[in-house]
Amino acid sequence: MKSVQFSVASRREGDAAIIYPKGYLNNLSGENLVIECGIYIGKGITKIVVNFSETDLINSIGISMLLQIIEDLRNIKGTICCTNMSKLLRDTFEMLGLMQHMLVFPVESDALTYLKTGKL
Amino acid sequence: MSTELKKALYNISALADLGQAITSENNFHEKIQSVLYVITGTFLANKGALLFYDKPTNKLNTLAQKGFAPADLDRLNPEELMSLGRNESYLIGDDPVLTVAGAEILAPLWVRDEFIGALLLSGKLTVGPYTLEDLELLNVIANQIAIALNNHSLFLDLSDKLEENRRLYEEMRHIYHGTLQAFAAAIDAKDAYTKNHSHRVAKYSAAIARELGWNEHEIEGMYVAGYLHDVGKLAISNTLLNKVTPFTPEEREEIRKHSTLSHSITAKIKFPWKNVEDMVWHHHERLDGRGYPEALAQESLSDGVRILSLADSFDAMTSQRPYREKMDVQSAIGELRKNLESQFDHKVMLVFCKVLDKEIKGELPEPDILPHLDRDSDLSVISTLLEGIIVELSTP
Repeated sequence: MKSVQFSVASRREGDAAIIYPKGYLNNLSGENLVIECGIYIGKGITKIVVNFSETDLINSIGISMLLQIIEDLRNIKGTICCTNMSKLLRDTFEMLGLMQHMLVFPVESDALTYLKTGKL
Repeated sequence: MSTELKKALYNISALADLGQAITSENNFHEKIQSVLYVITGTFLANKGALLFYDKPTNKLNTLAQKGFAPADLDRLNPEELMSLGRNESYLIGDDPVLTVAGAEILAPLWVRDEFIGALLLSGKLTVGPYTLEDLELLNVIANQIAIALNNHSLFLDLSDKLEENRRLYEEMRHIYHGTLQAFAAAIDAKDAYTKNHSHRVAKYSAAIARELGWNEHEIEGMYVAGYLHDVGKLAISNTLLNKVTPFTPEEREEIRKHSTLSHSITAKIKFPWKNVEDMVWHHHERLDGRGYPEALAQESLSDGVRILSLADSFDAMTSQRPYREKMDVQSAIGELRKNLESQFDHKVMLVFCKVLDKEIKGELPEPDILPHLDRDSDLSVISTLLEGIIVELSTP
């Protein structure tokens, strides 16, 4: 598999922030994901959507980063939505019991609709 | 695939992640940070700390941590952790010793009989306590981390010792050079007219050797030979050394003994440099075999001897003597050229001229010869003279 250098992009829509991790979430560069979310949380954003369309794989280091984001949002009573996840990611999150701590949507627009209307 | 199997595969891949984090080319801090992430990610812990035991201070230093209050970690007593046993992870429960840090699970880190530190975890995200399987996996991880930390600690010890040895060597070298300079000052003090002569000859000789492409160790040896070349004069009477009128044949013979005496003295010293005693012994030899003390000629004279001979003569000529006036620099250079092949070496003369010319033109950051020349010297005239000699001697 071709290894892609991990990077993070983001945008804001309404009162939510959408984060786009790109590449294999498996080393210290994953800290950028936590930092990016932290910047939005620092600005008062409590709704974060992580769109995993360009991240197929995650290892224990990446899970640790995700735990940090979950913890940070929990401390401010915020919401984390994960979207566009590969089957491998879903299986991993499910097996680790992470699904109970996040909302999962097939695509980003579904998550944004839910955050806007409160309806699935 | 069952959840148990998936979990087992995840744990195996976490061990692989750990191996990768430990053996990565990252610096130590980054490695440890990655290791902590692997552990917290594997055990779904929102609190984790990796502590390293510093034997000299008997304290636990936090190498990496997340979620714990630093003050809580500081309250942990290393001796109490040591008494818990080796490489066996603990569910802390109500243990009064360990609850101080707010950790739920602890793995002491040992390598053989050496206490290395401890690994603490807490705040499991998924509801439910840590299990026996968690403890078993943590034991495996703790063993790997203990070995990695111990290796790092050994490496640091070795680096410290190496640094200490390097410092001691530099100190010794400094003392050694100080002693040599004191010796040289003692030699030069015997004769009011040769003040700093040994120092200058050492500088000139080293500058020529450097221009010839010698390595730093060889240059240092040349420098030392320059300092000590007249050490035998310590055994010659002050009256004779400071005599104003011309020497009688017997007195000249007595004065000439100084190079053999220099050899006798330096031969007793075990120098780390080659041929120092040979250089000081033969610095008054000539290429035509008419020098002293052994009347050696041509191939019998090493490059070091040839350098020292020219540097010594140049400084002698440009210094005041009780029985004659000092020469100006141009005349001294002319004298050296006149005695090429009979007394002085062609190659050494060429290099000497190049160094001095470079120093005059400011091409060398730390000049060795120029600062000691007569301040009234006309440098442009000297440079022109040197350029002419360089062209002449460079022509095959």
